[in-house]
Amino acid sequence: MKVAYWPGCVSRGFTPELHGSMAAVAPLLDIELVELDRACCTGAGVIAEHSQELADTLNARTFALAQAVQGADLMMNICSTCQGAQSESQERLDANSEYRTHVNGTLAGEGLSYEKGLTNKNFLWLLVEEIGLENLKKKVKRPLTNLKVGPFYGCYIVRPTDRLGIDADRPRDHYLHWVIEALGGTVIDYAGIHKCCGFPIITMNKEASLKQAGRHLSDAQDAEADCLVVPCPLCHLNLDLQQPLASKAVGRDDLKMPVLHLPQLVGLALGLEPKQLGMSKHVVKPTSVIDWSSAVVAAPAPA
Amino acid sequence: MAEYTLKLRRYDPQAGDAPYYEEFQVDLEPHRSVLEAILKVKAEQDGSVGIRCSCRAAICGSCGVRINGRPGLACHTHLDKAAKTGVNADGKTILVEPMGNMPVIKDLIVDMDAVHWKKIQRVTPWLINKQPVPEREYIVPHENMVDVTQTMACIQCGACVSDCLSMEVDPLFVGPAASAKAYRFVGDPRDAEQYERLKDLAEDPHGIYDCTHCFTCIDACPKGVAPMSQIMRLRRIAGNDHHIVDRNNGERHERAFVSLIRDYGLLHEAELLPRSYGGDSWFGKFHPAAGQQLLESLPVLARGLATGKFTVKKAMLGHRIPKADLKAVKAIYEKVEGKDRRYELNLYISGYEDDDEAAPAEAVPAAVGAGDGMPSAPGPDPNRPTAASESESA
Amino acid sequence: MPAHDVLIIGAGLAGQRAALAAADAGASVAILSKVHPVRSHSVAAAGGINAALNPEDSWESHAFDTVKGSDYLGDQDAIEIMCREAPDEILWLEHAGVTFHRNGTGHLGTRAFGGASQARTYYVADITGQAILHVLYERLMMHGERISRYEEWFTTQLLQDESGACVGCVARDIRTGALEVFNAKSVILASGGAGQAFKPTTNALICTGDGIAQAYRIGAPLMDMEMIQYHPTTLAENGFLITEGARGEGAHLYNALGERFMEKYAPNKLELASRDVVSRAEQTEINEGRGFPDGTIALDITKVPRKRTLEALREIVNIGKDFAGVDITREPIHIRPGMHYIMGGVKTDYDGQTSIPGLYAAGEVACVSVHGGNRLGANSLLDTLIFGRRSGDHAAQRARGTAMPRSPVSVLNDAQGEIDGILNRPTGGRRISEIKNELGETMNRYVAVYRDADGLATALEIVRRLKDEAPNAAIDDKGTVFNQDVLAAVELGYMLDVAEAIVVAAQERRESRGAQFRTDYPERNDAEWLHHITVSLNGDGPSLGTAPVTMTRWEPQERTY
Repeated sequence: MKVAYWPGCVSRGFTPELHGSMAAVAPLLDIELVELDRACCTGAGVIAEHSQELADTLNARTFALAQAVQGADLMMNICSTCQGAQSESQERLDANSEYRTHVNGTLAGEGLSYEKGLTNKNFLWLLVEEIGLENLKKKVKRPLTNLKVGPFYGCYIVRPTDRLGIDADRPRDHYLHWVIEALGGTVIDYAGIHKCCGFPIITMNKEASLKQAGRHLSDAQDAEADCLVVPCPLCHLNLDLQQPLASKAVGRDDLKMPVLHLPQLVGLALGLEPKQLGMSKHVVKPTSVIDWSSAVVAAPAPA
Repeated sequence: MAEYTLKLRRYDPQAGDAPYYEEFQVDLEPHRSVLEAILKVKAEQDGSVGIRCSCRAAICGSCGVRINGRPGLACHTHLDKAAKTGVNADGKTILVEPMGNMPVIKDLIVDMDAVHWKKIQRVTPWLINKQPVPEREYIVPHENMVDVTQTMACIQCGACVSDCLSMEVDPLFVGPAASAKAYRFVGDPRDAEQYERLKDLAEDPHGIYDCTHCFTCIDACPKGVAPMSQIMRLRRIAGNDHHIVDRNNGERHERAFVSLIRDYGLLHEAELLPRSYGGDSWFGKFHPAAGQQLLESLPVLARGLATGKFTVKKAMLGHRIPKADLKAVKAIYEKVEGKDRRYELNLYISGYEDDDEAAPAEAVPAAVGAGDGMPSAPGPDPNRPTAASESESA
Repeated sequence: MPAHDVLIIGAGLAGQRAALAAADAGASVAILSKVHPVRSHSVAAAGGINAALNPEDSWESHAFDTVKGSDYLGDQDAIEIMCREAPDEILWLEHAGVTFHRNGTGHLGTRAFGGASQARTYYVADITGQAILHVLYERLMMHGERISRYEEWFTTQLLQDESGACVGCVARDIRTGALEVFNAKSVILASGGAGQAFKPTTNALICTGDGIAQAYRIGAPLMDMEMIQYHPTTLAENGFLITEGARGEGAHLYNALGERFMEKYAPNKLELASRDVVSRAEQTEINEGRGFPDGTIALDITKVPRKRTLEALREIVNIGKDFAGVDITREPIHIRPGMHYIMGGVKTDYDGQTSIPGLYAAGEVACVSVHGGNRLGANSLLDTLIFGRRSGDHAAQRARGTAMPRSPVSVLNDAQGEIDGILNRPTGGRRISEIKNELGETMNRYVAVYRDADGLATALEIVRRLKDEAPNAAIDDKGTVFNQDVLAAVELGYMLDVAEAIVVAAQERRESRGAQFRTDYPERNDAEWLHHITVSLNGDGPSLGTAPVTMTRWEPQERTY
């Protein structure tokens, strides 16, 4: 399938391995990525905090660019925070035609216009709803057997449930669990699965921010997870890049919890090597995962 | 009728035992509430089960609990929905526990005075009348009253406090309910101390900039108060209208973020940190206030560079979108930021509008704007003191 | 042993308003409630509060509507006071911070309500009670140093000195189980109604008639107890209230044949006739087979513009969605008359004084009587505030000339003995919930919209049997912390006393007036029954009496809408 692809800022900045691994995985899943390289940042909730209209207009511009991609089935992102910020803007734009007309008026100078009803999905949602878990299972070359993975969703992709279309028919807050299982891994249950990584207040209340990250990492480690998987690069920043500080904040010198981006985990199961997926760029080396992958390679290939 | 297993967390402070779980079988129609099931248990099986409740109709705010791990009102949660909620849901078992972030008194009853009400007290929760008090009513725009009535709809049930993720790590955080209460006065044109209230909440290290933006309170609230959105409005009015530069870097962070997107189109992370700490310009990192914080961040940047995560060039210059697009983005900034008053949709109603049958354009702006006829959010009072030394960056 | 000039029992609108008034008058004040004040049932009042504040309106018009609504059983001196003081009370609330609805010019706006000749109902969406209650609580917090709050304390009895004056109460700290004597120079009962004696009811679980029974037990006469209001629009399944504001905003009522039947019963005011009239009309339609199969009537709110509904009737949008699965902006919702309010209560004068020196009552617990045979919508909030304030004022003044009473320690021991008696009950009796259910169903069957001698006799017989059974009802919880079982046992006793008073008063009034419709005496009979009926405790049982209706300027007329 062809998607208008919004990679976000951080995946091209501080976590380039995310963008890279997505690009590596996409062809294996028959996804054609048409990158929205003209679009700007979603505002990550911060611009909306400053001015609702500004955030909505910037995002409407991105939506309009996505709608202009010929033959694209939908828009896809690889960042929970982008998904959340875009969904918020879209909710307002779609709910209110007068407002939408007003915002489109601002875009008119560029010849752009947003039409109500764009489909915009995080890679996680796309995996489950478009590609399908059965289909995904068929593509697995190296099942994640015995790999114990702790899901970490990030706030923006699970709340608020109404806005994000989460209900009994589409339990998007379970999808990460399903994907881990479909890839052959073992889901580790721990307290932090749907909690906040703390990143948004890292500059405002560093201690509280790092404590949040530290607690989830500790809980996952105590539950004997080999690694965490995140669909959000901002969570990755607090959980991986800041892990040394986060461990200090909760008084746990022993924390060594690798944190994988979702495309990295998928890529691993589809047969790509840790290095191809940029795992060497992590602050906390995913040693356990790499060891596991070489162990699997050494073992007889599964049927 | 359907059979449900009600799994209640029991705690008897007099028994000297740790909390435990007890299961009760209840036969009730699926659309009945969790509270009805608990009351049925109390009535027919065990009168010692403790839960506060009164109105049964989600207006008194007594029966806040956690149902299958999620905070909410027992009277407001249907059995069938409850049994399907949560990762481990089996469609039959309903786990009911006391709310979090507050000490448990007995069974499902928590000590709200110790946490919730203390925080409400913290925000000076009464109207400080703008003088002179008129002989008759204050003349106030209709939209303003609708706007603050959204926060007035808070029933003080504590569901948002229960699962506040910031409060979990920082018990001193003023929290979602008290912040919504604060907005009830900040957004009320009859209040004399909008600036003082905001200054107080912005300067408090556990105030409005301690919210981690996790949306938990929005999901928890049974009345659509959206406490987190109210916190964002408090920040917006504090930063944009009063230019309150707090010592928690909240306002600087926001301003830096907003102008970086204007200048680069994409987030320039390496530049965001120094600007958040020091001030919103490339020179911000040399500001004395930035020194200490930056020093602490250096190892982080060093780690990133060492792992090959990013290059020195990228860290210094950042990435940006093509020139023509940057120009378009700037044009949007100029148009939107150039207005006198903000155009802001009223949270109270916007989610319901514009369906197929209804008349189009039911836009209900938060307030009537000044001069240009543009609907806008409640703005600052021109007669009020503001930290006017800071000028708008845009 | 806490001692205050003024002790207020109950912290809904009447109690909180009394506390603020008494503190303003310089008294030391304690306000005590079995629930946190914002949980009080005033929170559920939806539609609004009446006042003739518009220059085109007049307090006389408001008063006349109230007198007519009461079916001429209201005391006109008290009604005049209430309606005269209403506008200032609204402005006081507005200045205190209530976020009243504004019209296009930014002034206070009104909505129409039942039985009113003018749109004079001020409101906050459909959460008026909640908005006012929370604002009053803000004021209580503001005056925290002058008003001591005892939240989650349960009153078990009122105390009297040798002269018979009320000098305080005994109350149990629900969180610890400790009993305490509260001494006070003046005591104000503001503990609300007794809807839980009926099932279903719009009333909260806490509305168990505590204050009515407590006053009755120390000899205060009750008045107008037969006057029970059935609200025209309550949800069929659970009895939840759909505000009269819906009809005020323009909603219609239809029977199963699609007829707007109010044209027949109240050709002028239609759906906005007074509540007794509309409820009776609905019940007639249902009884004569024109209701829906589930015994209901359709309330069609789709007549109201959707945006207006979403803005001004938000709470019932939620109630429809959450408790009936109906989007009221799209389809009619099924309703029927349901028990809502008790016009009667502890007999007081217009300063809230009961017949017991030092004891006041205000709000639904009291009967001034401003509502007489039928209360108008949006007059109850007004009643609580006006007479709450007046009671607070008067009680503070009375306290000035009174010495602080000291109750003997023995009262505490006796009270503890009673609680211990409940805790130590043998098992084997009926469950409290069973007795309560039987009471509620009995009252709702025989003491409802239509009544007759046979039904009332049956009701009395059942209530008296339940009174015999109640003292043996079994208790599961033997602890002291938040023992809700013990409280439920005490509350059951309160409800049974109130129910008995209601039934005997309904038996006594052999005519139809206001909310009391006797199918065996279908006419109003001013010659014989234009007076109040009182009920006092005499030994073990109720004894009946009468009290005159005060008339000032409005002679009884035929009542049509």
